[in-house]
Amino acid sequence: MQSTTTSEQAASAGGRSGPPDPVGPPPRRSSGRAWEWTLAALLLLPNLALLVVFTYRPLLDNIRLSFTDWNISAPVANPIGVANYVEWFGRADTRTVLGNTLVFTVATVGISMALGLALALLLDQRLRGRNLVRSVVFAPFVISGAAIGLAFQFVFDPQFGLVRDLLVRVGLGTPNFYQDSGWALFMVTFTYIWKNLGYTFVIYLAALQGRRADLDEAAEIDGASPWRHFRKVLLPQLRPTTFFLSITVLLSSVQVFDIINVMTRGGPVGNGTTTLVYQVYQETFLNQRAGYGATVATVMFLILLLVTVVQVRIMDKGQQT
Amino acid sequence: MNSFTRRGFLGLTGAAGVAGLSACAGTGTGVGGGESSGGASNTIEFWSNHPGTSKAVEQQIIDAFTEANPDLTVKLVDAGANYEEVAQKFNASLAGGAQPDVIVASDVTWFNFALNDQLSPLDDLLSEAGVDTSDYVDALYGDYLYDGAHFALPYARSTPLFYYNKELWSKAGLPDRGPETWEEFEEWSADLKAAVGADASAMQLADGSNYLDWYFQNMAWHFGGGYSREWTPTFSDPATVEAGTFLQRLSQDGVVTYNATPAASFSAGIAGCILESTGSLGGISTDAQFEVGTAFLPGTDNCPTGGAGVAIPANISDERKANAVKFVEFLTNPENTVLFTQATGYMPVRKSATELPEEQTYLEENPNARTAIDQLSATRSQDNARVLVPGGGLRIGTGLDQVAQGEDVATVFERLDAETQQAFENQIEPKL
Amino acid sequence: MIGRKEVAHGAEAASHRSPAMTVAGYVGMVLVVLLVAVPLFWIVITSLKERQDIYVRPAQWLPAPGTTDNYADVTTRIPFFDYFRNSLVITISLATIKIVLGVISAYALALLRFPGRGLVFLVVIAALMVPNQITVISNYALVAQLGWRNTFQGIIVPLAGVAFGTFLMRNQFLGLPSEIIEAARLDGAGPLKLLWRVALPMSWPTVVAFALITVVNEWNEYLWPFLMSDDSRTAPLPVGLTLLQNNDGVTNWGPVMAATVLAMLPVLVLFLVLQRQMIKGLTAGAVKS
Repeated sequence: MQSTTTSEQAASAGGRSGPPDPVGPPPRRSSGRAWEWTLAALLLLPNLALLVVFTYRPLLDNIRLSFTDWNISAPVANPIGVANYVEWFGRADTRTVLGNTLVFTVATVGISMALGLALALLLDQRLRGRNLVRSVVFAPFVISGAAIGLAFQFVFDPQFGLVRDLLVRVGLGTPNFYQDSGWALFMVTFTYIWKNLGYTFVIYLAALQGRRADLDEAAEIDGASPWRHFRKVLLPQLRPTTFFLSITVLLSSVQVFDIINVMTRGGPVGNGTTTLVYQVYQETFLNQRAGYGATVATVMFLILLLVTVVQVRIMDKGQQT
Repeated sequence: MNSFTRRGFLGLTGAAGVAGLSACAGTGTGVGGGESSGGASNTIEFWSNHPGTSKAVEQQIIDAFTEANPDLTVKLVDAGANYEEVAQKFNASLAGGAQPDVIVASDVTWFNFALNDQLSPLDDLLSEAGVDTSDYVDALYGDYLYDGAHFALPYARSTPLFYYNKELWSKAGLPDRGPETWEEFEEWSADLKAAVGADASAMQLADGSNYLDWYFQNMAWHFGGGYSREWTPTFSDPATVEAGTFLQRLSQDGVVTYNATPAASFSAGIAGCILESTGSLGGISTDAQFEVGTAFLPGTDNCPTGGAGVAIPANISDERKANAVKFVEFLTNPENTVLFTQATGYMPVRKSATELPEEQTYLEENPNARTAIDQLSATRSQDNARVLVPGGGLRIGTGLDQVAQGEDVATVFERLDAETQQAFENQIEPKL
Repeated sequence: MIGRKEVAHGAEAASHRSPAMTVAGYVGMVLVVLLVAVPLFWIVITSLKERQDIYVRPAQWLPAPGTTDNYADVTTRIPFFDYFRNSLVITISLATIKIVLGVISAYALALLRFPGRGLVFLVVIAALMVPNQITVISNYALVAQLGWRNTFQGIIVPLAGVAFGTFLMRNQFLGLPSEIIEAARLDGAGPLKLLWRVALPMSWPTVVAFALITVVNEWNEYLWPFLMSDDSRTAPLPVGLTLLQNNDGVTNWGPVMAATVLAMLPVLVLFLVLQRQMIKGLTAGAVKS
């Protein structure tokens, strides 16, 4: 029950801090009327059933398999206790993979949210041609990760690529994006942000479109500067959206697969761009160590759960101050 | 706790999830043990990734097969964009549900299936069907030998070839042939570098994420080393270290550069030569705007084999296996291997194929294709450390990337020894 | 019946700005277009190049001569329109199911009170943390045993659970001004009327964003449809298009890029239509209530 209040308050927190009238779950006269319970159950059941059968059942399988030596093709999995977990904590590449995941995730979450917000603010203005520009910003998000990966192989190709072409034009050389781990990680991060900018953009744009005009007008009457207006009126209204994005962008970046698989296969030098999910794939399907892959997946799930709970708590605190 | 089966898990958690579905999810208790799940027995499901964009020619062969065997039908399934995806899909089918009758399995994916008893040993099936296996090219058929039995027939088989740009070759004043040894290549490299200019590479190789480990086998063997002898890793063998040092020297001298797609650089004229699969011959010939030369890999009798074979799952009915054998034999018979290889650039897998008139005409018109076939007699089956030890290709590719980037060869190769040994002990030894 | 004037939604940014801001706005747009559109341009231009012109140095910024052969190639070499039809079936079904399920789940989580509400919400969000690489094998076993391999329901049903949209819409519903919800309740609006006449009309931009993102995700879904489908009877575009690549040799990139462009267009058109709806819908919603 602890989590009940936490997450709920957090998600609804945003609207309450700045603007005058409270926004949030309505105060109730009485709690838990029978018809309300029944209705809620009816509305939630189909979705929950699908999630339980097709997400949680496999997740449970996965957790159980993480305590075995299961080979992906083997008919039988032998229980080996926590050996996989011990191995994960002791292995040299764990640090590299965690580091890659951290760098990739922090960069993608931070940059794509900031840029998405900036673009949404820009294209919320009445400017000529903004519909076209909105489509341009959204377009990369529409293309599949695999296709983007292929296209960006050209863009970053150290011999034929667009980046090389531009750098050579201004008299510079090109880094080798495929051999140098740092540049390779930069390359996949850039590509991912480029592709997913359309997502943060659209969500922020929807929030801006749905915001309350009366607050804008009030600010205008006060003669607030644009910056002050942004800080004091817009940002607080966007808080629930920011909270939502910070969770969903994080969860989807951690699970990046296509772009890495197509562009670098986790290389160079083996794990230069390997993130946790890519390691799950490599261990399960390429090294055939499905038990160990399940272990990495379970650890990842726990890390994400922890991070999300912390995010929820932070929003919770923000609401109280 | 005893060992428990995979289906056991799935059934159990299925039951925990939704009662209505659990009955279905829980049916298989014995891990597909001998049960021929799904699939009509007169329909042969062929799971292929259509190597070398071969879907059309595969369908053509299938049509001929069903015409000759009107009681059978063949369903060609798009089973993936590459060999890894076919393996992934087949692995999924092992968890439950219908298994295919025939799958394409690459040089690195077949063994784990065989080791886990998921592929049928073919020898008895083939002799029952009256197939004479001695006509298969020995090295190619021998690749699928494990524990006294063969687990696949060679199908889309390739080897690396040495491709060179004849224009650059003559500009560099080199004879119109490939280097006979790696030492000779090193002697040529200064002239070659001068000829290609600062902006291009004398030689370009695929990097460690793109099968450098396959090509480097040739260099390792040339220096008398290798990745392993049987199951014993031999990376730290002085001869292998010498080969690694040689590669590192070529890299540091700027003779060799690395890329994900050397064939593209070569076709564009900015790599003087490359080592590439025979399967790329068609594409390179189309793309290159200069005369392309092909040659054996440097050295003698040290060309690794590669590519894929066709295999038959173990847990399908005997009747389905018999039909499947009929089909894979047809698919790889002399006429069809010629048809298939001429459409794709792979190697004919039958000795008698080269005697067929249509193949002889073809080879006269395509001297570069002849190089590949002539080289077949110089092939050598790959080392276990790459193709049989799980994750071998990736592991070795990583090490070679490190070598190319200047890490100490002996240290890197000792690490490879240890990692390979560990993977062998954990994943293979208990099952041998 | 509901005081809508004082909470008029859907404001555009203030229309009176300083000229400097306007100029900055246009400069910003040009920068965005450059950064985002250049790689897009590259994809389009590659799709119009002849094979030998793709890998050349220096890079060719304009195809000379251009060709539409790649597009013809895509539509003739593979059963493109079959894959396209399958993509439509899968995407439309999934988007419809997910939007309905997402909206009603979110409604229950945001506007109904029942025990364990927070826990249910956590269960929904946590589903976003499970990567599909680990769900596919055991789902395959289940679906294959139902006999659903190579069927649309086999592809659709396991993907139909909606976590993202539930989260998004719940957030949206919780952000609605409580006085309006209360006023509607006092007016005796039943739960369905409350959803249909009050909550949804006020949430239109978010519903549109939800729909767009769902369509995009389902349109590009690869791993699960690939495992489930066997051929062009059920395989969607992303699976079918891999047939254009030579998976063991040299790929001709022209047709691959042409296919990318063709696959992108329908969704982009949908965006153009819906993004106008984002604004129109608001006005309509305000009037309706």
